[in-house]
Amino acid sequence: MQEVVLALLAKEPSHGYQLRARLKEALGPVGEAMNAGQIYVTLGRLEKAGLVACELEPGLPDRPDRKVYTLTPAGQQRVAAWLAEVTWPGPAPAEFHLKLVAAAAGRLADPLAIVDAQRRELLRLLRDTQRAAMDEPGGTPAGLLLEGVALRLQADLRWLEACERHWAGQGSRS
Amino acid sequence: MNNTPERRVMSETGGSPVLRADRLRKEFGKGDALVRAVDEIDLEVAQGETLAVMGPSGCGKSTLLHLLGGLERPTAGQILLAGSRLDQMGERALARLRRTAVGFVFQAFHLIDELTARENVELPALLAGRSPRAARHRAAGLLEQVGLADRAGFLPAALSGGQRQRVAIARALANDPLVVLADEPTGNLDSAATLDVLRLFDELHAAGQTLVIVTHDSRIAATADRLISMRDGAFVDETRLTGGTRGNLGSLAGLEG
Amino acid sequence: MGHILLISRLAVRDLRHRPAQAVLLLLAIAAAAAMLTLGLALHGVTSQPYQQTRAATNGPDIVAQVGGPGAGVPAVDLGALEALTRASGVTAHSGPYPFTFVTLQANGHKAGAQVEGRDPAPAPVDQPSLAQGTWVRPGEVVLERSFADELGVGAGDQVTLNGRQFRVAGVAVTAASTLTYPHICYSGCDLSTAQLARKVPGVVWAMQTDARSLATAAEPLGYTLNLKLADPAAADAFASDYNSSHPSPSAPLLQSWQDISFNASSLVRNEQKVLQVASWLLGLLAVASVAVLVGGRMADQTRRVGLLKAVGGTPGLVAAVLLAEHLAVAVAAAAAGLLAGWLAAPLLTSPGTALLGTAGAPAVTPATFGLVVAVALGIATVATLVPAIRAARTSTVAALADAARPPHRSQRLIKVSARLPVPLLLGLRLAARRPRRTLLNVASITVTASGIVAVLCVHAGYGQSLYASSGLANPQTGKLNRVLLVLTVALVALAAVNAILISWATVLDTRHPSALTRALGATPEQVTAGLAAAQALPALAGALLGIPGGIELFATVSKDGTVTAPPAWWLIATVLGTVAAVVAVTAVPAWLGTRHSISGVLQAELA
Repeated sequence: MQEVVLALLAKEPSHGYQLRARLKEALGPVGEAMNAGQIYVTLGRLEKAGLVACELEPGLPDRPDRKVYTLTPAGQQRVAAWLAEVTWPGPAPAEFHLKLVAAAAGRLADPLAIVDAQRRELLRLLRDTQRAAMDEPGGTPAGLLLEGVALRLQADLRWLEACERHWAGQGSRS
Repeated sequence: MNNTPERRVMSETGGSPVLRADRLRKEFGKGDALVRAVDEIDLEVAQGETLAVMGPSGCGKSTLLHLLGGLERPTAGQILLAGSRLDQMGERALARLRRTAVGFVFQAFHLIDELTARENVELPALLAGRSPRAARHRAAGLLEQVGLADRAGFLPAALSGGQRQRVAIARALANDPLVVLADEPTGNLDSAATLDVLRLFDELHAAGQTLVIVTHDSRIAATADRLISMRDGAFVDETRLTGGTRGNLGSLAGLEG
Repeated sequence: MGHILLISRLAVRDLRHRPAQAVLLLLAIAAAAAMLTLGLALHGVTSQPYQQTRAATNGPDIVAQVGGPGAGVPAVDLGALEALTRASGVTAHSGPYPFTFVTLQANGHKAGAQVEGRDPAPAPVDQPSLAQGTWVRPGEVVLERSFADELGVGAGDQVTLNGRQFRVAGVAVTAASTLTYPHICYSGCDLSTAQLARKVPGVVWAMQTDARSLATAAEPLGYTLNLKLADPAAADAFASDYNSSHPSPSAPLLQSWQDISFNASSLVRNEQKVLQVASWLLGLLAVASVAVLVGGRMADQTRRVGLLKAVGGTPGLVAAVLLAEHLAVAVAAAAAGLLAGWLAAPLLTSPGTALLGTAGAPAVTPATFGLVVAVALGIATVATLVPAIRAARTSTVAALADAARPPHRSQRLIKVSARLPVPLLLGLRLAARRPRRTLLNVASITVTASGIVAVLCVHAGYGQSLYASSGLANPQTGKLNRVLLVLTVALVALAAVNAILISWATVLDTRHPSALTRALGATPEQVTAGLAAAQALPALAGALLGIPGGIELFATVSKDGTVTAPPAWWLIATVLGTVAAVVAVTAVPAWLGTRHSISGVLQAELA
């Protein structure tokens, strides 16, 4: 989130509420549950790290939303570096995988039941995501984000089907 | 072999189901080469419901759909569509049924290459004996509904995969069928076209159309009211997809809480 | 070596993979080869038999007669006849032999016969060649072969001449007489038995004493003399000079061998007219049917070629495999066709049994053999070349993706068909999908119908044939009718094969749209009727075109250009029959096609 805020500031110095508005627009429904005050917390951290400078707009002092934030040179460097990064938040199947292995090994629960339950949950999430996607008018950035969520869920569901096949086979062997 | 007991997949809403199958079975081949494509399936579909059947390739879901649409004859069991027994009907009666009560959407679209989109959508109405003008009017309306009114005069070769499938869906709706059966409708489509088809199915569902969709695409399955999993010719699971919140979307998308 | 092995294995595997199509192609080429063989055999029938008989019997250049039936002259100028033996240009002679007219009874038949007196010793000119038995003896006679065949008697049987019993010593042929069966009456024919029997007697040879004893007051003896000239080619001039300078009724009447030959071969000539028409028709029809089948298969081949290329075959290898397949089929078909043609030819080409009928038997000359095999191989090569060339030119992807040419779209027809009832809607659209095939259908039906109409013209022309009502049917009409029957059967058989091929090809091509239409709600009856209608429309067009076509065809081939148009109801029956046959031939495979499960067909088309 920190780098995101920095990048948003790179366009021009902005107020906190302006940043929040742009985030909301970019995230659409995904950003609905975002904490309203979170952005100010992030801005504070950035200020402490020296990546952002804060000025008080002349007029009405002592109100947080009148603070104008700007990027420092260090901040600009950080943004450039971040834009050039290609690290990717990898998929994280390890935890679930180990859950199944442990359940099977210790006979704590039926792995198939765990997989089924997870599948149902993911399907519900997928349904919700698609609902939200269809409510978005076509071509918006928010729609694109929801597409990304849906596709990742679809990939996860495919893996769960593979898990189901594997553990069903294991079950018939034991 | 399959250890889970067969569960009768019942509809919870009242009233008689639009489509119903009892102990449905379809076998191919003989002796050692005998394949049970559909193995003792019981099924009910309520009016206005969207039912999705999921499963890996070769599990028999396409065969099931073809049986429900009268395109294949069952080896054993009953199929009732709006009260008529499909398994006992002759070819002529089945044909009549296919042009009044059932609309089929195929994975390979199966549009007629030398007819324009409009002419393709008109065809079932013409086969049902409607006048050319009525058929044309209905076709125009349906193409508008699927968002292809501006492409009505195009040949299939000039349309994208997603557009062709939408024409096929319009064709399936031509005679106002009781139930639309869709066999892997997004199997040949990319994700953008898939979204278009998803939207269309959603609209149909909202309009009260009964849909039975066979798919291995979980995106399509997630739009259904009920989702049935199939393996080796039998139903193994049933999920009712309802409700849900939107609160989780943020963490799903990777935003820290 | 390995290369050839690979090619042959691929070719065999390919043929085994689609046996039905290979068999169809074989049948079509075999039918074409058989018809071609027949056609060439018919073409080669000439009037040569007369020459062979003349050579075998040392036939005369001039036959001179005095007296005889119908001469009505009591006195015969035998001296003038003998004077001819010493005329300039005459190198040899036999006779004068006496002859008279008798009534013959044998085998329950009654006929007129001309008995000629001969010696047991062979004559220097015109010694009839024995086909059965022995030459004349006292109390024994020899019958002319065609006469004997009509009566149904052979050596050893008994005949009655003017009430007297004689034994048949043998059966022989001669080149010296125009009185061989069948005899054609050109004009002024009286059909009453007695007159006819006089005009159309059979020829019998007996001992001179027996012949003289058979003469009666009502039927006095006449005399016949056979002459050989130094210059046989001048026989015609010799005879006409003598006849014009000796117009007296009691003077001898001369006939040249050219005259006799002309009359003798008239039967064959008439047959030739018929057979020439037939050979052209059969050849055309055969080519048409092969064109349909090979043309229909070529689209299929393009895809197959693409597949071969996709697994690494060079265009050269692909062409070699295709050529090997087609050659194998063509050679087998040529062999089958030649055999069939060779077996069928004698049925049609044996001329009247009066002459040594050897012209028909070895009708399959080495030239015919060579030509037929060459044509079959030529078809194989052409059938290979076109897809091979196309394969070399198109990219593999294009060849694979394009299963066939995309169907043709005709907006007007589609609009018009929307107003028609469902079967016609389907039929019209199906026919319009492949306009080239539809045109080929029309062409092929036109050829068939032309053939049938031409045959009908022949039948109509020979309606005026004459029938001898003496208990002996005129074998000429009998034979011609047999010939016509065989030809009509052959024509109809080839037309049937053709129709089946076209219909089969059409049904195969329309499997996918038919299944799809059924999935959309058309009943099997509607689909079958549609396919039948799709075939019936071109059939109707072709049949109607065949009427003027057949008449034109007959007019061009018939030497004198006269055409007797067949009665109207025959033509109507032909048109309706053709359409009905095509509909029937289409309806059966179409109906069978609708018994397949729809999903099976739809999914198979994706493979």
